[in-house]
Amino acid sequence: MLEVRAISIEYDSKPLFTDLSLTINTGEIVALTGDSGSGKTTLLRCIAGVENMASGSIILDHADITDQPAHLRRIGLVFQDNQLFPHLSVGQNIAYSLKLKGTDKKTIQAKVAHALELVGLENLANREVVNLSGGEAKRVAVARALVAEPRVLLLDEPLNGLDSRLHAKLLKDLGELIRDRGVTTLHVTHDHDEAAAIADRVIDLHQLIS
Amino acid sequence: MRQTRTRRSKFVKSLLALPTLFVLAFVVVPVANILGRTFEDISLSLLRSSAIHQVIWFTTWQAVASTMVALALAAPIAFCVANFKFKGQRLLTSLTSIPFILPSIVVGIAFLGILPGSMHRTAFALIIAHAYFNFGFAARTIGNRWLQIHPHLDDAARILGASPAKLFSTVTLPILRRSIVNTSLIVFTLSFTSYGVVRMLGGPARSTIETEIYFRAMQLGDVSGAVLLSIVQILLVGLLFLISTRFGSRDSRRVSTPTVSRQKRIDSTKNRTVIALVGLGAIGFTVLPLLAILNKSLRTSKGFTLEGWRLVVSSNELWRGLSTSFIYAFGALIIAVLLATIAATAAVYDENTAGLVGVLTSLPIVVSSVSIGLGVLITFDTPPFDWRGSQLMLPLAHAMIALPLAVRMITPVLQGIPASLRQASSVLGATTWQTWRTIDLPIIRRTIVSAAAICAAVSLGEFGASSFLVRQSNETLPVLISRLLSRPGDILQTQAFALSVILVLFSAGIIFVIDSSEDFSPAKRTANNA
Repeated sequence: MLEVRAISIEYDSKPLFTDLSLTINTGEIVALTGDSGSGKTTLLRCIAGVENMASGSIILDHADITDQPAHLRRIGLVFQDNQLFPHLSVGQNIAYSLKLKGTDKKTIQAKVAHALELVGLENLANREVVNLSGGEAKRVAVARALVAEPRVLLLDEPLNGLDSRLHAKLLKDLGELIRDRGVTTLHVTHDHDEAAAIADRVIDLHQLIS
Repeated sequence: MRQTRTRRSKFVKSLLALPTLFVLAFVVVPVANILGRTFEDISLSLLRSSAIHQVIWFTTWQAVASTMVALALAAPIAFCVANFKFKGQRLLTSLTSIPFILPSIVVGIAFLGILPGSMHRTAFALIIAHAYFNFGFAARTIGNRWLQIHPHLDDAARILGASPAKLFSTVTLPILRRSIVNTSLIVFTLSFTSYGVVRMLGGPARSTIETEIYFRAMQLGDVSGAVLLSIVQILLVGLLFLISTRFGSRDSRRVSTPTVSRQKRIDSTKNRTVIALVGLGAIGFTVLPLLAILNKSLRTSKGFTLEGWRLVVSSNELWRGLSTSFIYAFGALIIAVLLATIAATAAVYDENTAGLVGVLTSLPIVVSSVSIGLGVLITFDTPPFDWRGSQLMLPLAHAMIALPLAVRMITPVLQGIPASLRQASSVLGATTWQTWRTIDLPIIRRTIVSAAAICAAVSLGEFGASSFLVRQSNETLPVLISRLLSRPGDILQTQAFALSVILVLFSAGIIFVIDSSEDFSPAKRTANNA
């Protein structure tokens, strides 16, 4: 279970929002909507531990992780613009977290192959990420996040900028993938239809600020 | 459309004829002449001499050591500048850039002034002086590349479990690798072919290939031996460039695009302390040798004196040296900037010519300035091309040496102009020339001014080719400084140091002019990219 307790966030020394609280139950998919620039992405970055909060705390599975560095939190984040490592191939991107953990080569190969199969990119393990289409890059970003077996998955407008056909297809695939694996997920989007299609619960950011 | 392309292609090819002609005449033909002599009358027995083996070995290992020290000094500066926003950042970048455009002879003199006598003529003195010469350049180029790494890539790695050390070794370093290799190659080449620093600090016991070429040609009269060593040097540096080009082309697609600045405000005492230590250390390392030159210009063994400065101001000979240097610098900057602008335009307007432009403008780097001087000396020595005494030879040689830098400054800015702007201009009825004049020129104007300033600095400080080509009547400042230092007498020495101070001030002025120009400042360029 993820609990965000009364957090306040500043941007350029000005308060972005204050006293925001949110709880997501284990295995639940919550979609968070809000206007552009309202602070949705910053909230995700705070939960992931790559952005500082002015006050408040983050509790994950009853443990306070507020002061824990990002690399120890085991929280996955799919960036809006993917942020695939440009110097690594598709397979190497997906294997990144496994290598950091010291996983043996055989297991890495098997897990990468399985992840690629899950996202429908079986033959692209050796491709350079700069040569991927928008939809392929998004699938790789999702696979990379899931392979790390995060306790919580954060999705930052993951389907933004895709054409309508690809958007619908990826939305369906993504929903099935997350639900099958039972990952606790916070999905940020400004698209209300997308939110309704994928989430168990839809919340507007403004509702969370007390 | 095809007609427009053909017209443009013809226009570009005709443009490229001018820089090609100049590089052919003043770099390729002189070098070919050097190479040609190998097959005529040069004995290869010199290459079997153990003294020459020692010179080649010393040249190589001191260049490797200089490169490693320069990179070690540059790394913390690049880290701070690329990752933090702090007061004095611009000053730090500008100040540490000054040594790179200082005349090499001035750097040599500065370390003569700051190092104890027991360290003069040592490998340590050469290595530290070469590192001083290059560390700011290395910090700037690696720092600029680091600034272009999207900060969210760091976040992605951290979220996936990378500790700060792992983040550096698995993401930052691999992405910076090409920039580090390219920078190392340039620093190595500059240290390998360094002349002024070695002449000042090395002495006869610490000879490098470059000083040995000069020594053989001008002191021993052994032009054949000098030519042979020049060939060895060209082949070694050329081979290195060839290897690095292959390495670079493999990596060329691996570029990330920044959308937000990675420079963060300092949020912890630890970071504040690190930045303060790095900043103060870098500024101290940059400024102390320069202050030593000023101090030496004001002191003799008898104590404080303004005599050196008084003589600089009142001596006709010294004023002639100053005016000669500035006139040559003006000539060199006009020739180099004109050729560089044409070459850069050709490379950007017609992709097919980019390779040729790259090769043409790399040649003066591969061929050292001493080799250019030697080549020109042995090529233009018979009528109707006996131009050795011509006042035009030095500005031309300096222009060839400055050309690669000028091209590398102008080309990226031209490349950054969206092709759609030129297409819009063409659609509105502009010819290729009108498009260039009304679209490209206004955008690259500031860069052209910056390139001109750099060319002037290169010419003012150039010592290698000048050593071969100057006559007593047209001595440039570095040659004059070298002559003054080689003569006994305290006052002559203070004059040499006073002239060096003038060159330092000019170099510092150039860097501050360039850095105040918006399109050159690395921080602003990155912010503009965002």
